[in-house]
Amino acid sequence: MKQSSIARDALLAGVALLVLVLLPTLFPAKSLSDFVIRLSAFAIFATSLNLLIGYGGMVSFGHGLFYGLGAYSFALLMQKMGTSVPVAFALTILINGAVAVVIGAICIRLKEIYFSFLTLAFQMLLHSCIIAWTSVTGGDQGLTGGIPRPAFLGIRLDDPHHLYIFCCVVLVGSLLVMRHLMQSSFGYTLRMTRDNPRRAGFLGIQVWRIRLLAFVVAGIFGGVGGMLMSLFVSSAYPDFAYWTVSGEAVFMILLGGMNVFLGPLAGAGILLLLNDMVTRFTEHYSLVLGVVILFFALGLRKGLLGFVVDVWARRAARKQPAAVAAQPVQRA
Amino acid sequence: MLLFLVAAGLSLIFGTLKVTNFMHGSLYMLGAYFAYTLYNLTGSYTIAVIGAAIGVGLFALVFERLFMSRVYSADVLLQLLVCYAFILILDDAVKIIWGAEFLSMGMPAAFQRPPILLAGGVLPVFYLFLIGVTLLVAGALGYLITRTRYGKIVRAAAINPTMTSALGINTALVFGSVFALGGLLAGLAGALAVPVRSMVAGMGFSILIESFIVTVIGGMGSVAGALVGALLIGLVRSFGTIGFPLFTEGIMFLFMTVFLIARPSGLFGKDQ
Amino acid sequence: MLTVENLRKSFGGVSAMNGISLDFAEGSLTAVIGPNGAGKTTLFNLVTGAFRPDSGRVVLAGRDIAGLSAPQIVRKGIGRAFQIASIFPSLTVRDSILGAVNAHRGWHARLARRFPLKEAQAHADEVMDLVGLGSQAHVLSGNLPHGDQKLLDIALALALEPRVLLLDEPTAGMGSEERWQMIETVHKLWQRKQLTLIFIEHDMDIVFKYAQTIRVLSYGTVLAEGSPDEVRRHPKVIEAYLGTRFEADQK
Repeated sequence: MKQSSIARDALLAGVALLVLVLLPTLFPAKSLSDFVIRLSAFAIFATSLNLLIGYGGMVSFGHGLFYGLGAYSFALLMQKMGTSVPVAFALTILINGAVAVVIGAICIRLKEIYFSFLTLAFQMLLHSCIIAWTSVTGGDQGLTGGIPRPAFLGIRLDDPHHLYIFCCVVLVGSLLVMRHLMQSSFGYTLRMTRDNPRRAGFLGIQVWRIRLLAFVVAGIFGGVGGMLMSLFVSSAYPDFAYWTVSGEAVFMILLGGMNVFLGPLAGAGILLLLNDMVTRFTEHYSLVLGVVILFFALGLRKGLLGFVVDVWARRAARKQPAAVAAQPVQRA
Repeated sequence: MLLFLVAAGLSLIFGTLKVTNFMHGSLYMLGAYFAYTLYNLTGSYTIAVIGAAIGVGLFALVFERLFMSRVYSADVLLQLLVCYAFILILDDAVKIIWGAEFLSMGMPAAFQRPPILLAGGVLPVFYLFLIGVTLLVAGALGYLITRTRYGKIVRAAAINPTMTSALGINTALVFGSVFALGGLLAGLAGALAVPVRSMVAGMGFSILIESFIVTVIGGMGSVAGALVGALLIGLVRSFGTIGFPLFTEGIMFLFMTVFLIARPSGLFGKDQ
Repeated sequence: MLTVENLRKSFGGVSAMNGISLDFAEGSLTAVIGPNGAGKTTLFNLVTGAFRPDSGRVVLAGRDIAGLSAPQIVRKGIGRAFQIASIFPSLTVRDSILGAVNAHRGWHARLARRFPLKEAQAHADEVMDLVGLGSQAHVLSGNLPHGDQKLLDIALALALEPRVLLLDEPTAGMGSEERWQMIETVHKLWQRKQLTLIFIEHDMDIVFKYAQTIRVLSYGTVLAEGSPDEVRRHPKVIEAYLGTRFEADQK
């Protein structure tokens, strides 16, 4: 199996960033840059969830907690504390990380469906808090008053063009970091705890520590996604912490393929496209989405990119019999 | 009390099929809407309730046979997604058929009587009816599961489906019927809720979450647990609304969190 | 090297281990045999920390290890392979062993550099060749045939550079030709690595040919122990387990 290298990934990232940055000059439509910005928020979020689900085998139903937390933390820091963007960014990461440590430490001790439930419970707990704490969060109306965007390092985030580039950079940067982490020793150990936690224990690995670390990393990047979204809408809404956020992220992962690193990115893109296209024709977006999800859940289970990877592998196998054994193992 | 019905159904389904029916709340919603329509068509609340319960039960059966059974052996993720898909579809379907606004039915004539004074509290007649029905159903369920042959088969299939099937019992039928029963309970609850709650698409979700909490506390797979859990949650909710009106839901989640940490199998649950 | 003293363990009222005391000398090759349910796997489980003994001691190279968790015991130098190969299906053979080496050296939580670490590769390749899986290096371990999975299982344990290696039925599920190949491989690596090797086995031909010492367990107690010849002739063993075939062979 070809191992990726830092250089190769960095190169890919650089090219992608370049393309993204040049995109508005080729296609100046605002809807396109808006799309990319929304995509960046969701893609980071979905990829962070996949660290848990795909790489760690931990099915969290409550990852939306970090999305909402990230959005509200950042928005509140900027609005009420008047911090600069970089400081708010850093503090949001710290907050998400700290919360992830606490919640992770509690949830990780449970297995499977109970883990999933508890994560969901915590998310809905946050949601309840957000709705209840009207004085701080604005309750179910969301944060009113917008988010100030003081300039930093010559970047003015109130300029849509700057915002666009900022989001692209954060997107590419976040994916690059997450990719690197998954390709590090830690990433492989995480895969081992997913495949066979018992054996991992018998190799001397403290499985809970690995899982907690994964949970914290996922929580941090989930928050980054939420942060981008709050920047985009200049506010934060309780919906950001509603269970549907988690559900849609799960679907993005399934859609794009959970065993491929860029799967969630692809899934996010497809889902957003679907959203945009369908809402143009009908207000019954939920119906269409539901049918599409069914189609994928019952049919194309490995997701689009997973499907593509499979096809490639099969083609390679036809040319080289020895490579047959290298086909991806069916994971349920 | 309605919570018990919904939670019992959820618990049964989980206990027997080892599957968490995430769209259970939508079945509740369907029950409400079915009852509403039936009542408007026939003017009889009895027909509405019975019809709705049976209707939802049938729907649940079809859902299970056509969709759920395909993902039994798959990841929880896929089960979640199939249910999530149905929630979306049903929510929109309800909007299309019945409209997106809140609907309410009003109290059927039979129950438009002055409330009864009971132990210092005022109890509307309908609530008495609700309690009565719930206890009746609880008793019937308990009897069904522990005393009848059907109940034995269900329990056997829950413990060891392969063996049960090898003994000549059609497990597909058993699974389907359990799912239908769960659906019937949820639909019944929905139908019973119509006079006292207003209906809107998406009303299923909050009762779903509460049912989860109840089943976690009471124990997955236990009907008795669902009863106790529902009572507990009902109490928590009453006190919560007095003390912390906006945060009541939060308190319930706190409760569930404590239980999940301290005793994941719930009060009466069977250990996995 | 490894001693168990008066080990007891019950599971819900059923006594699986009734005060067993055994000693395994350093560098020895011991077979543990006995009918099903005799407590062989329980012994392994207690030694490796999968379960805590109800009472008794487990001493490794002079240090008490009973009651430690499995990851801790593993780090003290006990490796284990399982009856049903316990591997990582989505990783390739080489990556799995590299992962094990990482765990052994404490590099498994490293975030900074890419996997596989250069320093780990030499050791991993050595282990891989020791068990003879070199040609399968890049095959996904989930796709390996059963016998190779068992070899990988052993390789994973070896990657930890254990002083004591416990193999639970290394030849389970194999045809007779494969079995001899497997036990040959095991024997070779026992010699090369100078391990204290203990294996559970049901194939008596293999046991009598390869083991230096044999321990016979039955109903959670030690029925007999000694060299293959001694055990072969032991009346209790014949009665409980072997039957008269092997005694006849000797005469």
